[in-house]
Amino acid sequence: MRKTLIVTLLSSLLTLPAHADENLFGYIKGAEVLPDGALEFYQVVTQRSDKGVGKYTAYNTETELEYGVSDRFTIKGELKGQAIDTSGLLIDAYMPGDEKYGLKFQGVEIAGKYNFLSPALDDFGLSVTTGLDYLVLDPHSGRDKDTVSIDLELELQKYFMEGQLIWAANFGTEATRAKRKPIDNLPEDFEWPTGMEVEIEFWAGTGLSYRFVPNWFIGVETLYETEYETEVAMERQSLFAGPSLHYGGADYWFTLTYFDQISGGGEGFDGQPDGLHLIEKTEQEIRFKLGLNF
Amino acid sequence: MRNIPGFISLPLALIAPAVIVNAAHAEDYLSIAQAQKVLFPNASIFLESAIHLSDEQRAQIKKIAGVRQRNPIQQNWRAEQDGKLLGYFLVDDVIGKHEFISYAAAISPDGKVIGIEILSYRETHGGQIRKPEWRQYFSGKTLNDKFKLNKDIPNISGATLSCRNVTDGVKRLLAIHKIALTQA
Repeated sequence: MRKTLIVTLLSSLLTLPAHADENLFGYIKGAEVLPDGALEFYQVVTQRSDKGVGKYTAYNTETELEYGVSDRFTIKGELKGQAIDTSGLLIDAYMPGDEKYGLKFQGVEIAGKYNFLSPALDDFGLSVTTGLDYLVLDPHSGRDKDTVSIDLELELQKYFMEGQLIWAANFGTEATRAKRKPIDNLPEDFEWPTGMEVEIEFWAGTGLSYRFVPNWFIGVETLYETEYETEVAMERQSLFAGPSLHYGGADYWFTLTYFDQISGGGEGFDGQPDGLHLIEKTEQEIRFKLGLNF
Repeated sequence: MRNIPGFISLPLALIAPAVIVNAAHAEDYLSIAQAQKVLFPNASIFLESAIHLSDEQRAQIKKIAGVRQRNPIQQNWRAEQDGKLLGYFLVDDVIGKHEFISYAAAISPDGKVIGIEILSYRETHGGQIRKPEWRQYFSGKTLNDKFKLNKDIPNISGATLSCRNVTDGVKRLLAIHKIALTQA
């Protein structure tokens, strides 16, 4: 009965006379913004799984509204959720033990995106996005942790073949202040710092998407991320890559991306596979995005 | 790659039928015959033919218009009134953000745009593209005129790619008229 209700509600949503802008990629963002007055709803679900040891599966949801303030400036507000199921994985200072819960409120984000150059009008698209995040759950251990981040990202985009082939690239940085909540009954000699942490992250990524038939795009994208932290200098670096399938229509769009960690480094733990960063990342991620415009 | 988890397969199962429904909702505004009547109201006959463009002609068209001629065959109709040539009616498809935009252009024998009509437009934004207020900017254009979007032809926010490709497409049709129709 409950499943039928959910299916009915979602089906009703899909048949609304909506309009859509679109994300061609799961992780890389394009330079376009919504037109003045347009409102868009996004639902993003990401599954992060496998740290090479024990069991680790986490789901992150982003429920988002974007609004075109002008033809060049878009704002968004987002609610984040998280579910986690991990066991048999103990990493000193990072993963304090088994954890399992269903979808919980994880945090909020607000952001603004300003478009300087339009890819269809100026031949080359350029936008800047800045955002502010507040999280109450650690995305890695799943434990309570207050995190405030501010980020800045450049989005570049270029159309080829009259728009049949689209290239996009992102360069970004994020500064974070975080403080973990104490945990009772920690394993013996287990370190769980509860002081203020300061981190800075940099990323660069690119993607190419090709429309192979009307409405349908096949793409490939890659993202390099690295993070520096007060205690250990470079805490992590990772390179993910994978294919994306995108459908874009007049009423809605969706994108499905499989992202595999190709290489990684930085902090590690005993027993993990070589050549990957698996403390704050997983071996693979799957992301599904759905967009509706009203 | 592992099995597709439920949180992905459920939305996909929901979206698949909606895609089919969406395809059935495509907006077709005018048929070819209706567009011919609008653009050449005085024509008594439309003589259809297909131009087979050689590689050399396509290269010339790209040089003049700045965009490629994807299709080597271009359908066209001679609009005549009592044996007198009124102009040419051409139908073209250009890439929109999601789907092809079909439009028709009427070109006078001396290479001037008489008018354009949007036959089908299925994009999210930019429905204004089919309104006379936008289409009128093409009337009277020749290959000697400029076709710069947002300068000579107004842009429509949220439909920039569509506007650009229609604008470039009309110039390309004028190039086809010059290269292949007036010399046929």
